[in-house]
Parts: sequence; structure tokens; C-alpha cells
Amino acid sequence: MELAIVDTCFLINWAKFRQKNDIFNIFSKLIIPSIIYTEVRSESARSFIARLMAEKRILLAPRISQVDILALKIYDLINSHPSLPSIDPPEAYALALAKYLEKPLLTDNASPRLAVEVINEVKGVRVYDSLMLLAKLYKGNLFRRKVKEFIEDTHIFFSEKRLREYGL
Amino acid sequence: MDSEELKYFKKVVEETGLTINWKLFEKRIKELEEELEKAREFRRRMADWKYIESRPEPLKTALKLLVETGDLKKVSYLYSIPLDTLNEERIKARIPIVVV
Repeated sequence: MELAIVDTCFLINWAKFRQKNDIFNIFSKLIIPSIIYTEVRSESARSFIARLMAEKRILLAPRISQVDILALKIYDLINSHPSLPSIDPPEAYALALAKYLEKPLLTDNASPRLAVEVINEVKGVRVYDSLMLLAKLYKGNLFRRKVKEFIEDTHIFFSEKRLREYGL
Repeated sequence: MDSEELKYFKKVVEETGLTINWKLFEKRIKELEEELEKAREFRRRMADWKYIESRPEPLKTALKLLVETGDLKKVSYLYSIPLDTLNEERIKARIPIVVV
């Protein structure tokens, strides 16, 4: 099993999912860039992260200047296009770190997924959103049930187009 | 996106030194714009407007902006509301985040 970089929103949402720990059936550990950790303030999300840290399932990644440079470029590029969902500095850093470490990035923001398709410098980085992860974790009817439970627990929905891609 | 905006975007791309597959970018951006518009309509339809109107300022305006944009982080930043606090309010206001 490999490591994955995780974005704040993704982590906050998965902290609400009844089977949040299943994420570790795919990834041995999650890497949180230290600049992302400061965004998490609520007791429930912080205690979830603290527990995972105690279990050594979460690693805090330090700032790396080389990653910062790429992150700033990604941030500038994505945020200068009016139609692209915005990306904040921690998210841009997470994408650049995923490129640097050659590890997947977990995020529900559409911009990083589009970025790895069209920006040559980050091409090939694997970006998984919640639906992709649920599809990796569960198969058949169980997948269908878990998507429903995920929506109930988090109030995160998936577009009809995305659901169709998975036969839902 | 009008021609001035595109010119500005191309300038930024040039400044960053990053390179883009423009043909694929134009195709994807068109698809994404359609999906984001559907998501906006869905948020407007699903939101509990009574709850939103009952909230004090600046939370009320923040939640309305969240319905329009779906951008939790940007709204959190603009109104200085902690991300996960805003997320809790979003759930109470039944504003869906739509993964496109």
C-alpha cells in the first residue's frame, strides 16, 4: 500500500463518513502538508487527525522550497481563469507535492483533476476524488450503498455525469 | 470567456513558464462550465432558504455566496469563517457540495 497526499476539504468531509477508516484499506498513510493542517480548526476534525497521528497513519509534510515554486505557478495559473474553480495556496501546494513525491492526491476540487490533464508540468499526477475512492473501496451493490451513505453523512453529492461514469 | 480575458490568461500562463495542452484545455473547460452551472442550479434548489435567512450576518451572506459559487474555501476566506465551521453551517443549510 502506498502513501497519498490529502487536501483539507477532503479530510474534513471524510471525517464525517461513517466508514472513514476504510481509506486505510487503500493507503497505508496520508500525508498532510503542514500548511493544510492549520486550516483545520473544529474539534471533531482535529481530534480525528490527532487520533490518526497517534496511530502513525498521518504524516505532516514540511515546506519544501522547490515544491513552493511549482505551487505558486499552479496557483497563479488556475486562479487567473474565471471559469475554473479556485484553488487556494494549500491546495496548490498539495498538488505540487503530489508531483514532487510521485504520490496520488486526494481532493474533491475539480481544478487539480483538470490541471493534471492539461498542464504538462503536472501531467501524470494521480488525482482521486471521493467518488473515485469509493469505487476503489467497494464493488457492486456495496458501492451503490456506500455512495448513498457517503452523501447522507457528508452532504457531498456527485454530478449525474460522474455517477453515470460509474453506472449509478 | 471573452478575448480580453483569454489574452490575460495566456499572458499569465506565459509568465508562469507552465505549458498547456490548449486543445484539450478548451474541450475540458467547456464541459466543466456546463457541469458547474448544473451544480449551481442544484444548490439553489436544494438549499434550505428559511434556515439561511435565519442566520446572523455575515453568515447569512456567506451561505448565499456558497450557494452561488459552491466554493467553500473561498467563502471561508472572504468572510473569515473557519473552514470546518462553515462546512457545519453548510450542512445545516442543506447546501450540497457537488463533485463534478
